[in-house]
Amino acid sequence: MRKSTHWIANRMRLGWITLLAGFLVVSLGIFMEVGFSSLPYNLRIVTGVGILLVGVGAGTLIRYRAALKDEQSLRRLTAEERDERTVMIRTRAGNRAYIVSAALVYTGLMWASFAANGSLPPLAGDGLWFFLAACVLVPFGVYVASVLIDQRSF
Amino acid sequence: MKNRLEEMRTKNGWTQQELADRVEVSRQTIISLENGRYNPSILLAFRLARLFNLHIEDLFIYSEEEQYHA
Repeated sequence: MRKSTHWIANRMRLGWITLLAGFLVVSLGIFMEVGFSSLPYNLRIVTGVGILLVGVGAGTLIRYRAALKDEQSLRRLTAEERDERTVMIRTRAGNRAYIVSAALVYTGLMWASFAANGSLPPLAGDGLWFFLAACVLVPFGVYVASVLIDQRSF
Repeated sequence: MKNRLEEMRTKNGWTQQELADRVEVSRQTIISLENGRYNPSILLAFRLARLFNLHIEDLFIYSEEEQYHA
């Protein structure tokens, strides 16, 4: 088996696993919503995560299945995915996102420490929700912005 | 870093995509290399030099001044 075919086969396997895991999580979410409706949680979050996994898995399979049809598409897709410049850009973006993520979490940690001795108001309710949302979205935004900027610079 | 990539590619009558396919990188990488915006890894530099039957230093022109001004 060629190196590129082997690599694509691995990606396809990952796609199938993600898709199947997604269906399992969606089923679990629906089952829990029906069977355990008294639980004090919003079980649609579980179903939502499952739908996200199904989407990611299906997207991966569609992308790589198309490439398997002819040798040239396969070679180009493999080259693009493993391209050293692309890898470098993604790595730089990942590093920046990690630093921002660590800074945000550290800020939260410090806030919680000061809140514990009464120096700052405790982070709760909407404030906590917005802070946690920022911890997810800001690093993601930094990652995307960094990729876009570096694609122009390099 | 300056290089003779575009010159050698044109000499061989290849498009950027054809060169990219031959050294297994994306076309965007070839564009960035030709524009001097991106310096290749030593492995890619070797692959390119061998493709054109050149030594690395004949394809990529290293200048210390450029390094200090970069």
